[in-house]
Amino acid sequence: MEVAVKIRKLVKRFGNTVAVDSLDLDINEGEIFGLLGPNGSGKTTTLLIISTVYKPTSGEVYVYGHDVIREGDVVRKYVGIAFQEPKALWVDKPYELLLWHARVVGYSTSEAREVVKNVMEVLGLWEHRNKYFYQLSGGTRKKVEIAKVLIQKPKIAIFDEPTAQVDVISKHALWDAIRELRTQGSTVIIATNDMFEAERMCERIAIIYKGKLKALGTVEELKDSIPEGDIVELMLDGDENTYLRAEDLLKQYGKTVRSNDSLKIFLNKGEERAIEILDLLKSRGFKIRKIMVKEPSLDDVFFYMTGAKLKEG
Amino acid sequence: MNLNTLRALYLLILWDLNKMLRRAVFVAMRVIWFVIQVTVFGLALTAMVRLRGSLPVDVNYYEFYLLGIYTSMLFSISVSRAYDIAEEFEEGIVEYHLSLPISRRVFAVGRTIGGGIASFLFTLPMFAVVLWLLEDVNVEAVIISLSSALLFAMSITGFVLSIVLSLKSGDATDIMFGVLDSLLIRLSTVFYPAVVLSRYAPYLYVALVNPISHIADFLRTLFLFEEYRAIAIASPIAMASYILGLAVGFSSLAMYIVEKKVEGGGWR
Repeated sequence: MEVAVKIRKLVKRFGNTVAVDSLDLDINEGEIFGLLGPNGSGKTTTLLIISTVYKPTSGEVYVYGHDVIREGDVVRKYVGIAFQEPKALWVDKPYELLLWHARVVGYSTSEAREVVKNVMEVLGLWEHRNKYFYQLSGGTRKKVEIAKVLIQKPKIAIFDEPTAQVDVISKHALWDAIRELRTQGSTVIIATNDMFEAERMCERIAIIYKGKLKALGTVEELKDSIPEGDIVELMLDGDENTYLRAEDLLKQYGKTVRSNDSLKIFLNKGEERAIEILDLLKSRGFKIRKIMVKEPSLDDVFFYMTGAKLKEG
Repeated sequence: MNLNTLRALYLLILWDLNKMLRRAVFVAMRVIWFVIQVTVFGLALTAMVRLRGSLPVDVNYYEFYLLGIYTSMLFSISVSRAYDIAEEFEEGIVEYHLSLPISRRVFAVGRTIGGGIASFLFTLPMFAVVLWLLEDVNVEAVIISLSSALLFAMSITGFVLSIVLSLKSGDATDIMFGVLDSLLIRLSTVFYPAVVLSRYAPYLYVALVNPISHIADFLRTLFLFEEYRAIAIASPIAMASYILGLAVGFSSLAMYIVEKKVEGGGWR
């Protein structure tokens, strides 16, 4: 399998802030690859470097063997990106914008009209084609941004938080369209902080936190990477101090991760241990509001690796 | 230059022209204001100005003023590209353009030519008003003046593009180009002939290198040749070369900055 994007020791600094910190990554041709991390983890910066919009501070990035710095003009022929924030002026109209985009990416005028109409119909944008951008909802603007890549059909299609602000029904339409793009031969890279989206869409996922790669693998591999296979999650009556005391008490069972309103213990034989834990806590006077035994989700994997929640960062 | 490059250039020019077409009302308002400027204020000003005795030749100040005021409009509208580009940067359009399959050089040249043509077309109705007021003009002078006005607009756009993309700041752009616009127009031969300025040496030196003086005096030389060539800031060939050099120089600067320095983000 050919490597479509190769990233080596990539560093990007903005002043004193390190956005991407010595990142190494290979993205294979034809896969749907996810960059999972909270806001500010370096996902967008990485994507903008791949698409030659940002320049790396140090390190190397190759797209089909072409250096993003020295051969940017060649790289841009392979890459198309749907930005996190839709890029348009308030007086732009979707149809005109997409028609211009289609012509820039190589369609003749008649082809451009046809492909733009098709993509706009698929995404439910056709009725909005002649509205001004300021008249569109956030979700519709986002769809216009996604439409650019669907029209372009690039070898490497990049989507930065593709379904943020999009309603549930449209999300599925967008996911189907992105999958179809892959079927037609594109390698797809999706940056997201939505665990469900990552799990549903991506064949391999890189978990990124504070600019560093924390884990890499398929969804199953990432879940299996937690040494203890089960999670006991507790919710207690009490304040932070209650959780601190409970954490001290339960450390003997496995790794514990505490948030504001729950305590997770990563352990083996979850069902059996849950009863022990329940008895122990009751005997020490804790009031248990809820106890759950579950298999780890991607959110738990992220939590385990970083100690932070995806949405909180 | 291959077909793809030409196509990309054409589409980038189209981008700027589309943006200008959306400002039809604004263009119409500026043209109306220009007509009032040259018919009311211009005539009033001319009634007060006496050039006879100050100049070695007899120059009609109203004609002198018409071509000066047109040049100042052309400069101001070309400089106003700065605000458009700043708005595009603010809205992320520059990042979008940087991600497109277009080489950085073509992007710089395309936006320079596109912005130049848009500014030039913006001032075309004003130019028509000037020609109508000048009455007796020859076709050759019209063609050469239009070409030089277009070159001038492109050179200013190239300069503006280079600076805005380097500054990456809306506030800095507003201040810098606001000051530049008002200062350069005043320190030029737009309203006063060079021979009059020669009484104030520092003023004259700035006017001598000021591109606005060169384009204004070049247009005057074209239309008021016999009277004006004696008092123009330089010879017609020198002025034409200066305008051409400016266009080439600023386009090259834009290419260098876009290719080597510009990246997305960092807008303040």
